[in-house]
Amino acid sequence: MSKPTPTQIDPRGPRFGAAITSLLLLVTVWLGLDATTQDAAFGLLVAITALFAIGAIFGNSRHPYGWLFKKFVRPKLAAPKELEDPRPPQFAQAVGLFVAAIGIVLQVVGVEYGVAYAAGAAFIAAFLNAAFAYCLGCQIYLGLKRVGVIR
Amino acid sequence: MPLETKLIALAILVLVATAAGIFWRVNTGKAHRVRSGEQVQLARLEATKDGSAVKAFGKRATFVQFSSEVCSQCRTTARILGEYETKHKDVLHLEVDVTDRLDLAAHFNVLQTPTTLVLDGAGRVRARIGGTPKHGAIQEALESLEIR
Repeated sequence: MSKPTPTQIDPRGPRFGAAITSLLLLVTVWLGLDATTQDAAFGLLVAITALFAIGAIFGNSRHPYGWLFKKFVRPKLAAPKELEDPRPPQFAQAVGLFVAAIGIVLQVVGVEYGVAYAAGAAFIAAFLNAAFAYCLGCQIYLGLKRVGVIR
Repeated sequence: MPLETKLIALAILVLVATAAGIFWRVNTGKAHRVRSGEQVQLARLEATKDGSAVKAFGKRATFVQFSSEVCSQCRTTARILGEYETKHKDVLHLEVDVTDRLDLAAHFNVLQTPTTLVLDGAGRVRARIGGTPKHGAIQEALESLEIR
C-alpha cells in the first residue's frame, strides 16, 4: 500500500446513513409517480442530492447522518468487530450524487417520471448497501478506472 | 397515477432490489476452479510482504489478493486469508493493490475487488474467488489442489 490510510470508521455508520437515504429515496419515487406531487418529489431529490454532495466531498464522518449515528446510535451498540476505510462509502456517496443529479437534469429538461427513475436507481444501490452490506466501490470502482471514466 | 399502480411500482422496486441482494450474496465469495490456468510471473506482481519484495511462491499454495483503495471488503478478505496463512505452513498470502496497476487488472481480468487467485506450489492459477471468500471456499479451493 503506497498511500497512507485515513482514520478508520465504524462500518455501521455508513450503513445507518444508507438506510435513511433509501427510505427517503423510496418516498421520492412515490411522490415522483404522481403529477400532483411531482414538485415535492423534485424538492426532496434536490435535498438528497445536496446530502450526497456533503458525503462525497467531506466523507461520512462530517455528514449529518454520520453525526446522528455517532451521537445517538453508536452509544447503544457494542464495539464494532472490524473498522473500515472511509474511502469506499465516500465513493458510494459520489456515485449517489451522480445518479441523483441525473434525476434533477431529467426533471429540468422535462422527462416524465425522470425523478422517479433516478430515485429508483439510487434506491437500489442504497438499499443493497444498508440491507446486504453491498460495497459499490468494490464492484464498480476498478471497472470504471479500467475503462477510463475515472482516473 | 392511481394508488394501486403506485403501490405495485414501489413493491416491484423493493422486490427487485431484494432479489439482486440475495443473488449477490449467494454468488459472491465462491471458489471457481480454473482449468489450465496460467503460470503467474511473480516479479510482475511486484508484491511486497512486511516491507520486502516477495521472491518465492508459497510451497503448497499462494493466495494472490487483488485489492483497491475503494474497497471495504478487501480488509476483511485480507484478515481471513492472513489467518489461514498463519495457521497453515507453506501457504502464502499476497495482497496487490491494483488501483495504480491497471495493467495487472487487465491482464488478470479483475473487475471487482477483492479478487483472489489461488495458485498451486508452482505458481499456476488453479482457482479464483471474487469478493470476500465464503466460509469453506478457501478449503474447497485448496482441496482442488489436493492440499488440505
